[in-house]
Amino acid sequence: MHKEKYSEKNHQISVSVVQTQIESVRTKDIARTGLRVFENQKIGVAGVIGSYKEEELEQLAIEALEQNIPYTYELSREHQETADHVKTIIPEEEFVEEVNQLLKKLKKEQPSFSFFNKITLSESEVSLCNDLSLDLKYSDRYLELELGFKDKASANIIDGFCGYVGREYDRALFISLVNRICEAFKNQLKLPYEGKYKVIFATDYGLPMMKFIQGLNGLYFGTRSSIFSGKIGKQLFNEHFTLFQTLHPDDCLAPFFDAEGVVNPGYRYPLIENGILKSPYTDKKVAALFNLPHTGSAVCSYDGVPAIGYQQFNIQETESTLKELIGGETAIFVVMAAGGDFTPQGNFGTPVQLGLLFDGENFTGRLPQIQLNSTVFKMFGENFVGVSSDKLFPLSDSRGLVIEMDVSPI
Amino acid sequence: MFKFPPGFYTDVRIEHIFETIIVYTLGRIDDCKTRDYKAAFIRLFDGCRWYYSALSDLDSIQGKIDVLASYAKSDPEIGSNPVVSKFEVQQGSFWSFKNRNLAEIAKSSKNDLLQGYFKLLKRHSNLKMWKAFYMDRREEKNFYSSKGSSLSFDMQRAGIGIIMSFARKKKTYTDFFMKAGNTFEELSGHQDECEGFIEKCEDFLKRAKAVKPGKYTVILSPEAAGIFAHESFGHKSEADFMVGDETMKNEWKLGRRVGSGLLTIIDDGNYLGSGYVPFDDEGTRARKTELIKDGILKSRLHSAVTAAMLDEGLTGNARAINFEYEPLVRMTTTYILPGNLSKEELFSDVKEGIYVEKLKHGSGMSTFTLAPSLAYHIKNGKIAEPLTISVITGNVFETLAEIDGLSNDLEIFSFVGAGCGKMEQSGLPVGFGGPYVRVKSMNVQ
Repeated sequence: MHKEKYSEKNHQISVSVVQTQIESVRTKDIARTGLRVFENQKIGVAGVIGSYKEEELEQLAIEALEQNIPYTYELSREHQETADHVKTIIPEEEFVEEVNQLLKKLKKEQPSFSFFNKITLSESEVSLCNDLSLDLKYSDRYLELELGFKDKASANIIDGFCGYVGREYDRALFISLVNRICEAFKNQLKLPYEGKYKVIFATDYGLPMMKFIQGLNGLYFGTRSSIFSGKIGKQLFNEHFTLFQTLHPDDCLAPFFDAEGVVNPGYRYPLIENGILKSPYTDKKVAALFNLPHTGSAVCSYDGVPAIGYQQFNIQETESTLKELIGGETAIFVVMAAGGDFTPQGNFGTPVQLGLLFDGENFTGRLPQIQLNSTVFKMFGENFVGVSSDKLFPLSDSRGLVIEMDVSPI
Repeated sequence: MFKFPPGFYTDVRIEHIFETIIVYTLGRIDDCKTRDYKAAFIRLFDGCRWYYSALSDLDSIQGKIDVLASYAKSDPEIGSNPVVSKFEVQQGSFWSFKNRNLAEIAKSSKNDLLQGYFKLLKRHSNLKMWKAFYMDRREEKNFYSSKGSSLSFDMQRAGIGIIMSFARKKKTYTDFFMKAGNTFEELSGHQDECEGFIEKCEDFLKRAKAVKPGKYTVILSPEAAGIFAHESFGHKSEADFMVGDETMKNEWKLGRRVGSGLLTIIDDGNYLGSGYVPFDDEGTRARKTELIKDGILKSRLHSAVTAAMLDEGLTGNARAINFEYEPLVRMTTTYILPGNLSKEELFSDVKEGIYVEKLKHGSGMSTFTLAPSLAYHIKNGKIAEPLTISVITGNVFETLAEIDGLSNDLEIFSFVGAGCGKMEQSGLPVGFGGPYVRVKSMNVQ
């Protein structure tokens, strides 16, 4: 019998902002542990929230073997690695006061707007170890500073969002970001024309990637129920389009290993390379079941059996800046686009609740609500322009994803 | 039970959770587990600011209360604070499901129930991938407050879900079948319904064509109408969006016409199903709240804070997704009241339109979106060929005003494994539904 232990600890302080003021302060300290045992090609798992006795947890995991859940795959082994990304962002004892000062400044700089949401400083520790010399440890600290904003004269619940999630903080830089967006918001423009535009999404905005999340899932792919099934090795997209599955610390705030303890070289795995489909994402089970490459994409809850799941995607950056990608044309930066989707055939449509006109350097004004249309094959094929080499905003790693799309008024 | 420090309002919510999760993919077992744990959330209010703590060690509750008090400023007059004055004082035990306790049902029975669908799933050659799950969750909550509440109650829900992915030639289609309720007994005997749903999906796969974008008369099924009511209007009735915002207060003045005279929308935490919430997470008893009556804005959903700020009554809508979070103003079971047309009469007036039977998701700001999965052309009053649609959009108020017909039947739906999202809290169980709803014009892409 082999034994594997997964544990996660989360410490968090968060401030709730209502009408640009602190409404509440919350602290959280939660520890979760899962113990997995493997015997006769079966897995048993037991989990606990809070404190525990290891012998009791192990006994429960052994009892769970009776569920006869097969696990016929090699356990990850002989890999010791620690990633510690914890650094001081804002000292915790100064966090509430810093938020207070930030909000005071926002009130002064943007008096015609109100701001709201949670601002959270999180510290997370995740480890996975087993009796085959697997010992993986990850710790991180990050700030979630994403504020919703609303023009005080507007009858909307929300007019837009600005902010980021990352490991850095600088009050002045954040205020400058908010000012850029709010000043552009105040300048209501008309859509210059109906037709094709270069449209910019932040690379951490999930909407354009939705078709890949399901379509590149190895389970759908392997059962031939994905629009990408059977197309490994085929040129489906633009030759400059390369898509990675990633747990690289620059791309995400997550452990560098998957739920089965797999660590990819360079923490990334190419799923589409220069437009050619290389592999769907897989865990050990799906890779074995459908004879697919194993990409290390297992996820699970603390007390669950690892199973295939989506991790972060990352598109290979170009060597061009956002300004160069825009190339002097009029572009649209998507701040808020809720509710859009792809059809089974890959057609894409979404309303954009807040889009800003962008000249390559500055947001020049706010557009009325618009509709974007395209298809997954056009978005990442003939109409794919690229991902910028420069960051959208100094405090986050997000880049600009530029795609030509059909734009029409709603 | 706890020593509440003077000069503050304090409450403690202790949750005893029992959960079962069983998952199969293509008939092979992936997971089968139960969880049984207790954890707590503490709130302390000094009249200006709230202080919260979430913890999994119940022995540390008193210590945490004292720590939170040390952050705050004591107010000897806290009892007369308008928010504190609003809190109900509830005492006693209110067990709705003690005799039908999901935790007492054998895991093997739950497993058997799920396996009862496998035979029929395996019969369909176009059904290439399926994942079946059984989930239940029983919550026993104890709520104590410095105002004197000492309350115990239970909530529970159970359900099965089957995610199905079909493929034929070069076409694919993914959808899900779900049945959920408050008791295990409600889940048996739905195989024929599942079979019918699979046949519908297979027909959609074979025949669906892309819609020609444009404006159409749209009939929403009771399920789609429920999502529409929840997303397009329900979230706007959550009063925390209005607090301190004069524009919103004017825009959402009670008595204002916000929709067609046919339209009445209700939120009711007493309604059995996944939105059943007999007491909210501030210890307020559930109410039946008429949000819109005959097209007129009648009331809105509240926590104690928003009720005090807007000088309105409590509605029992302060809810948290679990012990890690503070309650926000959330919906419970939200539905459109039926009208007086038969379903056939409602369809017969439509020469050309769209029937939306099932949705993948929806969203609602000033512009709402609905992303249909199963949708059909309506021709000369009859449901015709299936259509693929990426999104239906429109302005909320214009669309509510465009409702020109309601069928005379009401269906309410329950769910497991998914729920409503707001701010950082997603997956909150809610119920929704309505009759068949006809809208004169919607923008279909």
